[in-house]
Order: sequence, then C-alpha cells, then structure tokens
Amino acid sequence: MLSKSPPVVWRSRIYRYRLIGCKCKNCGRVHYPPASACPYCSSRDLEEVELPRVGKVLSYSIVYAVDSDARERSPVILGLIDLGVTRIIAEITDANPEDIKIGSQLEAVFRRIGEDGETGVIIYGLKFRPVI
Amino acid sequence: MAYITGASMINIDRHYDKSIRRLASDAVFKLDSSSVENVDYVIVASSISYLQEPQLDLASYIASALGLRNARAFNVEAGEVSGATAVLMAKSLVDSRLASKVLVVGVDKLSNYPSAVTYKHISLLNDSESESLYSIGLGGIAGILMRLYMETYKVDRLTLAYWPALMHSNAKLNPYAMLRFTITPEKVLDAMPIADPITLLDTFPIGDGAAALVVESKPRDALAEIVAVESAVGYPSITLSPDPLRIDSLELAYSRLTEKLDLKRIDVIELHDSYTISAILQLESLRLAERGKAAEAVANGYFTVNGDGPVVNPSGGLKARGHPIGATSVYQVAEVASQIAGIFPGLKVPDAKSGLVVSVNGFGSNSYVVYLRGVE
Repeated sequence: MLSKSPPVVWRSRIYRYRLIGCKCKNCGRVHYPPASACPYCSSRDLEEVELPRVGKVLSYSIVYAVDSDARERSPVILGLIDLGVTRIIAEITDANPEDIKIGSQLEAVFRRIGEDGETGVIIYGLKFRPVI
Repeated sequence: MAYITGASMINIDRHYDKSIRRLASDAVFKLDSSSVENVDYVIVASSISYLQEPQLDLASYIASALGLRNARAFNVEAGEVSGATAVLMAKSLVDSRLASKVLVVGVDKLSNYPSAVTYKHISLLNDSESESLYSIGLGGIAGILMRLYMETYKVDRLTLAYWPALMHSNAKLNPYAMLRFTITPEKVLDAMPIADPITLLDTFPIGDGAAALVVESKPRDALAEIVAVESAVGYPSITLSPDPLRIDSLELAYSRLTEKLDLKRIDVIELHDSYTISAILQLESLRLAERGKAAEAVANGYFTVNGDGPVVNPSGGLKARGHPIGATSVYQVAEVASQIAGIFPGLKVPDAKSGLVVSVNGFGSNSYVVYLRGVE
C-alpha cells in the first residue's frame, strides 16, 4: 500500500528544495515552513523569502528508534539548526555522530530524503552537512 | 457544575486478543451497571486507533456495542490531548444542561502493528509539514530538547534518570500499570539508546488501554467535582518557540486556570511524561520548580508522598502506567478523581482534596489542564 500521496509530496516541493520560508511584513520575524499567518503576530501580510543555507547546531539527537521509512538509515542524526533568522529541524548527513558538536557549522545540501517502497514516490529535499 | 460519579480503567498492555470495541466495553462494564443507565451522550476519545483499526464515526459503534442504543454519541480526536478534550466536552454538555449524564470513554489501540509502524503513526502527533518530513518521531525532538536542557542548565544525565526510576516505583503498586517493576537511575543510562541522550527507559511503553468516566450534573455519590478545564494552543514546532525549553501553551493554559480560580493547594498531579524531559519541562512550566532545577527536585524526593511538594504521578505516569495516546488523559482524570475519593488502588496520596491533570500534545502544540476537587 502506498502511504505517501504524490500530490502532497509534489505541492510541498518548493519549500523542501529551496528553504523557502515567510517573512512577516508587520513584525519582521521569519518562520519556516510557510504558514498562512504569522505565528508571532497573526498578520497575514507575509512575503516568501529564501532562508540562509548555512547555520549552526543548537542541539542534536542521534536517533535509533526511527520509524519504518528510515530503518535502513538508522541511526539518524537530527539537528536543531539556527539559521539566524529562524531555526529548522533537519537531518544531518555526511557526518559521524562524534563529528557533531553544539556550535558546529552546517550547510544545506540537496538529498534524497525518502521513498515509498519499490514503486512509490521518491522524495527529495534538503539535509545539512558539516561545512567543508 | 459537573461531577465525576464513576471512573474505571483496564490494565494497559498489548491486548492482541481485544478489538477497540472490546477494550471500550471492558472498561465501561467495570462501572456499576446503574451508573450507565440513562446516559444522554457517549463521547469517545481515541487517536491512534483511527490508523491502526480504522473505524469512522467510532463513537456510535461503541455506543451500540455497549448496549446504549438510546444515547447520542460523538468522537473527539486531538492527539495526546483527546481525553482532556472529551472531558471538557462532557463538562460543557452538563453545565449547559444539554445533558444530565455523559459517559466519556477513552480508548486507543497501538499494538496492531510492529513498533516501527506504530512509531510512524505516533510521529503524526508532530507537525506533518515540518518534523514528520524526515521520518523522525517524537523521540528525536525529545532527544534534542533533553540535550539542550542539559547544556543550558548544566544538568547531568544521571540526575535526569531519577524521574523514570520514581515512575517505575510508583507504578509497581498500580494494578492498571503496564510496567510494574522497579529500576534504578543507573539502569536508565545503561538501557538501549533510542534518541541519544534518551534511552528506552526514558519513554513510555507501547500498549493499548481504555478508561471510562461518568460525568453528571448532580453531586450524589460523586468522586470529585470537575471545577475547571482550560487549554491553549502553542507553536506547531519547537523551531518557532522563542525558548524551546518553555512550554508556552501549558504556561498559558495554567495561567488561564489560575486567573479563574484561587488554587490554594494542589495535593496530587498527573502530568504528561511522554519522555523524561517532558515531565521536567512541565514541572517548570507549572512553576513547581525553578527553571533548570526540576530534575534535582525530583531526585531529592520533593514530589513523593514524603516530599514537600504535591505528589506527582502516583500512577506511574505515561512512563510506567503507559500511554494509550487518545485514552491517556481519561486515565489521568480517573486516577486523580479516585485519589480524591480515597479509592485509588495503587499508591495513595493521603488526604488528597484537590488535583490537577496536565495533558500535552507533542511538545506543546496543545495543552490542557483539568482541576478536580473533592465534594463536601
């Protein structure tokens, strides 16, 4: 049974591929992913902005109990990453757990982030890796 | 005014032999049969069961299965706060006189699939437009929060292991708890890592459960009064929260409660310890400990029967009683009501006259507080 809907994956592609968030024209704060109203001041006057592609690790976890989609990648390093204008939670790739420290510099990189079995949709998006 | 006149629970376990309807009837049939006569409404709180044992309009089928053909019925699905939301609905129906007797059934099923699939279902409690993208469940977020807490406040991992040890100690006496064995704090550190720094013993076991409450407008034979239910929505993700170590929604829900009521004392609390770090952050959000100090207070026994604080999670909590997601806060309300009535069959809180239930979805997308008091 396919568990991922192709239209759902398709319509979220832009903010997954390009780190597109929203900047509030009222309070100036940035959020990701884009919402219909500012989560801070409720204004609907928002503009899409591209977020910085480099950031630093605020915290991280090495996840062993991943769900069925990510089993072959276990353990997965998951980071809370400070992009300056906002934060993002994303998978950290191309690194061993011992390479990651709080404060480590990371950069966004385009990767395959999941697939739905042998015949289902393949999902691409951004992960983060240590700055080379 | 709304009163709890009946409360029942079944033991939380992997009930492979029982359907969602059978779990519900096992809980409801433990109530006196007279207490479910003339029920006006049946409210069913359930969440993961919609993914594991799909049945739409579940409440009407459960009402029929219970033999309550004259009742009205509807569902409440609100993730981990489903049960508390159902209690709010029951109180509202009774307070508004649309009903004089409401049966709340919290029931959920997590054991129909292997754990890896169940983790995927549970991960949908997170924001499906951000966190869920990477197939990472709640555990990864909890791991990030726990490391951030340890770094920010310089708290060591062992101090944070006293919480699960206390929960297991409390659950040992609770006949409805899933994990009825004691553990040492050191054993928590030695357990299998699930989302480092979190180990398997920092989190809840996968189990099915059902609990029921009868809510009525009359105080006759009541266990406790439902004085108030408050709630608040929060940020959808810890990435947006100005301080991820504060549960904004819980702070707001609790301040809405304390603005309405003079909470002179709270004798017993059942809070939502889906992970050790969840319990610690909730204790601090309720101002029962200074920020960065809750783990130390737990380790010093402040929240035990012999401590100076309110007794927290005498049931064993989500950690050891168990966490059948949509049913959990019905268990919590049943436990606190039973403590106030002096009939809780596990660890008793002596002379408990008032109590609080705290229910949180994920890490604060939604928070509920339910305040119960004894009936004069």
